[in-house]
Amino acid sequence: MDKLIKMAWRNIWRNKRRTLITIASIFFAVFFAVIMRAFQLGTYEHMIHQAIESFTGYIQIQDKEFFDDPSLDNSFKYGGELANIVENNKEIKVAVPRVASFSLASTGMQSKGVLVTGIDPLREKELSNPEIRIVKYRLTIEAIEKIMAETKLPKKQLELLKIHEKGSFSSWAGLALGLSLSGSLEDELKPIITKHTKFEGQYLKVDDDGVLVSDRLSKYLMAEVGDTITLLGLGYHGVTAAGIFPVRGIVKIPSPDLDNKLVYMTLSKSQQFFDLGNRITSLNINLYDPDEMMEVQSELLASINSDKYTVKNWEEFNPTMKQQIEGDSVGGVIFIGILYFIVLFGIFGTVLMMVAERKREFGVMVAIGMKKAKLVVILFIEMIFLGFIGMATGLGAAAPLIVLGNKNPIRMTGEMAKMYEDMGFDPVMPLAWFDNYFVWQGVIIMIMVILACIFPLEGVRKMKVMNALKA
Amino acid sequence: MKVIEIENLNKIYKESEIEVHAVNGVTLDFEEGEFAAIVGPSGSGKTTLLNMIGGLDDPTSGEVIVGGSSMSKLKGAELTDFRLHNIGFVFQSYNLIPVLTAKENTEFVMRLQGLSAKVCETRSEELLNIVGLGERMNARPNKLSGGQQQRVAVARALASKPKFVLADEPTANLDSKSTETLLEIMEKLNREENITFIFSTHDARVVKKARRVITLEDGKILSDVTKNGGE
Repeated sequence: MDKLIKMAWRNIWRNKRRTLITIASIFFAVFFAVIMRAFQLGTYEHMIHQAIESFTGYIQIQDKEFFDDPSLDNSFKYGGELANIVENNKEIKVAVPRVASFSLASTGMQSKGVLVTGIDPLREKELSNPEIRIVKYRLTIEAIEKIMAETKLPKKQLELLKIHEKGSFSSWAGLALGLSLSGSLEDELKPIITKHTKFEGQYLKVDDDGVLVSDRLSKYLMAEVGDTITLLGLGYHGVTAAGIFPVRGIVKIPSPDLDNKLVYMTLSKSQQFFDLGNRITSLNINLYDPDEMMEVQSELLASINSDKYTVKNWEEFNPTMKQQIEGDSVGGVIFIGILYFIVLFGIFGTVLMMVAERKREFGVMVAIGMKKAKLVVILFIEMIFLGFIGMATGLGAAAPLIVLGNKNPIRMTGEMAKMYEDMGFDPVMPLAWFDNYFVWQGVIIMIMVILACIFPLEGVRKMKVMNALKA
Repeated sequence: MKVIEIENLNKIYKESEIEVHAVNGVTLDFEEGEFAAIVGPSGSGKTTLLNMIGGLDDPTSGEVIVGGSSMSKLKGAELTDFRLHNIGFVFQSYNLIPVLTAKENTEFVMRLQGLSAKVCETRSEELLNIVGLGERMNARPNKLSGGQQQRVAVARALASKPKFVLADEPTANLDSKSTETLLEIMEKLNREENITFIFSTHDARVVKKARRVITLEDGKILSDVTKNGGE
């Protein structure tokens, strides 16, 4: 066998140019497919992290009727046996109780239906952590005018200021990225921009009687920190829920839909507001390993009182996102499929040429006593070599980029970032960490090599020695 | 002892509607240790006859029996295996495997026979020394002259210890000096090791060296002359 391998290795370098072209085509196909898939999966992971891990949780325990009828009447008391089951599950990273219901919010000038969400300010830090989303900078029209009056900005930053007009930022890093500031320019402009855009706001205290309002909602209601908003809704068993709440801070929620309607208050305040006693509407759960979601859901379903509670996963309570990811994923797979299909024909052409131009040689080899099966094996090894070199170099070149892109995700800046945000996406493009998709690209390319070999190698198997010797 | 027995061998090609008798009722025997040349004009059927003796081409009718075994009963891998163990080939265009060195080309058939690396190495070195290429063992075919390549081909043909060697116009592409050297080597091997050589040739120098000359014309044997003592 070692002799056959040696021959195959030498054979592939007989026509260096063709070998290099074939390897290059496989290299680029693998490289682009891996990077593209890594971007795609990385984006999905980020979306899931943003919307699921950082807001709804992977799993929710609800009252049995709540999923179909999300009314406060279908709330439940959390504690006792249910709490034991949740606390004893080793896969559960955090479980936070929440109250969520719709109310009408008004500031006098404007009113809007809002989602009032009662959270435990301390425990919630382990799930959605609204504290890091508190708006700290706002590029109001007045702020921009003041900045422009105080300093002469470069053309690019001027344009970006206009693009981000009325924009809110939870950190200086976010604002600097939005305005494409770095180095000495950032150092020079930071004090001026901070002075005019600094936005005061604070997270909820445990016994706070105020609220946090989402950024877009606050702009709509024209509610600033220190203002009060009136909430009017329907409480438990139809009681009227009404109250006036001071705005403690503005939170910037990545999801535009939520950012248009979210009001956070403490869990106890929300229970008081809706007259819920110590009832909650959901227990939101995050997991150590999201891949265990289905298993944890099954375990919980098996152990809880199914007459009273139900367990839903994020794909069930957020089907839109699931469909969006699935639809996009299929699109990506089709694109990669087309890419591979083109490469498949490239490999097929190479094998055909390799067989055609060495037909006489094959004839001689069979004439002097080599079995066709062995000849087929040599050719197959040659193709495996080509496929493997292309695959290994492609994966090898993609690997450092994946590490880099995963640890330091590409952050959109300027207009592109704004566009992403307007579409409801965080302007970040991370690459997914090494996973099955990485291995699969290699497997697919090797399968393609095998497919491309079938017809030409079958030709060799059926080759007539006399015809081959005359070639 | 008879090495090859050919009985009423025929090969008919169909060209459009016309049947061409490339080999027409040939009956021949070859004894062990013969140094025979099959001669005749182009199209006389020399190569076709040689190909059928070598099991590379199927006869339309008739039989080739090698060492008591009928080749017509063998097909596919069995026939390939039979060639590997019984027949050595020397082709007009040398047909060495380009990616293998002279030594590896010589070892190739022995490897196919499943001989150990040590045996292969020893015998290939021995054969290459016999054909005068002991110094060029590690050269690939593209680094050897035509004559040298054909000598490697002879070494390769002998490597499997065949019952006989078939050489199809072995000197056609060689200059006179290379032809002389090659013929001397083959004659020496024939005399000293009793290896049977059967050539198809136009070359008068080969005919001169052959101890038996079979002349073909239109696929039939015109004459079959055995010389006394060769030249």
